[in-house]
Amino acid sequence: MTTLITGGSKCGKSSLAERILDGFHGRKFYIAAMQPFGEDAFEAIERHRKMRQGKGFETIEKYTDLHELSFPADSAALLECVGNLCANEMFRDNEVVCPTDAVLRGIRSVSESVSELVIVTNQVGSDGVAYSEETSRYIRYLGEINRCIAGFADNVIECVYGIPLLLKGELSC
Amino acid sequence: MIMITGGAYQGKAAWAAERLGISENCIKSGRSCTPEEAMTAGCITDYQELVRRLGDGCTDFTSELCIRNSSAVIIMDEIGCGIVPMEKSERVWRENVGRCGCIIAANSEMVVRMVCGIPTAIKGDMP
Repeated sequence: MTTLITGGSKCGKSSLAERILDGFHGRKFYIAAMQPFGEDAFEAIERHRKMRQGKGFETIEKYTDLHELSFPADSAALLECVGNLCANEMFRDNEVVCPTDAVLRGIRSVSESVSELVIVTNQVGSDGVAYSEETSRYIRYLGEINRCIAGFADNVIECVYGIPLLLKGELSC
Repeated sequence: MIMITGGAYQGKAAWAAERLGISENCIKSGRSCTPEEAMTAGCITDYQELVRRLGDGCTDFTSELCIRNSSAVIIMDEIGCGIVPMEKSERVWRENVGRCGCIIAANSEMVVRMVCGIPTAIKGDMP
């Protein structure tokens, strides 16, 4: 089962993702895609680490090439988040490349090797601000990636100020 | 407590006036009211702007508001669905609005999301 959770900033996406995997009895992996660059990233990583404490997740830091990961049988994974993954694949090696294929290939591969996958992504296209060409491309790529994941995911949920809105499939918690 | 959210200019205040019977004189604006006025206001509009003015203490204040003014109607824009701002203070504000919104939504018996003037009850039942 693959579940995609989207929404804006600090709207309870991670808490919901963890809650969905609460009842899972096998090994649970947390795939952290945020690279620890800058003070904000450190704060966010620390905050999420504290949130997950005692919930039985084994953390894997993997910023690109998710297809290289392999998982033991009957395990679950929480991937956080597609926004970071998209930026990491897009701005790797100091040049801007289209990240769509790499991101989707990685996520599909994880989705096929775990029995339960929860993916956290972001809504970034709703502020109406005119950004630089690179940022505009990032917004477009992330939108396209989200649409593709939503296409093959069993469940799609949008979080609004902590309230889960079911867009596809069912909410299992 | 009732929460009305959605993007800017989606008809949140108009819906509150029409469907909840909120009158002008019990409305305080988050842009200008004092924290104490918010504690007794029947309706607070632009709560995201009060969050901006409260700064670090905003989540504690919001939790207290949910207890002391538990019958209030809170109108608050949904602002987090864009690119992470370059400016640190804007990033902090945006995240604070998210956190305070989660507190208000959790304490509300009804949450309504307005899109193009059309309300959807995303928690509880519409009056």
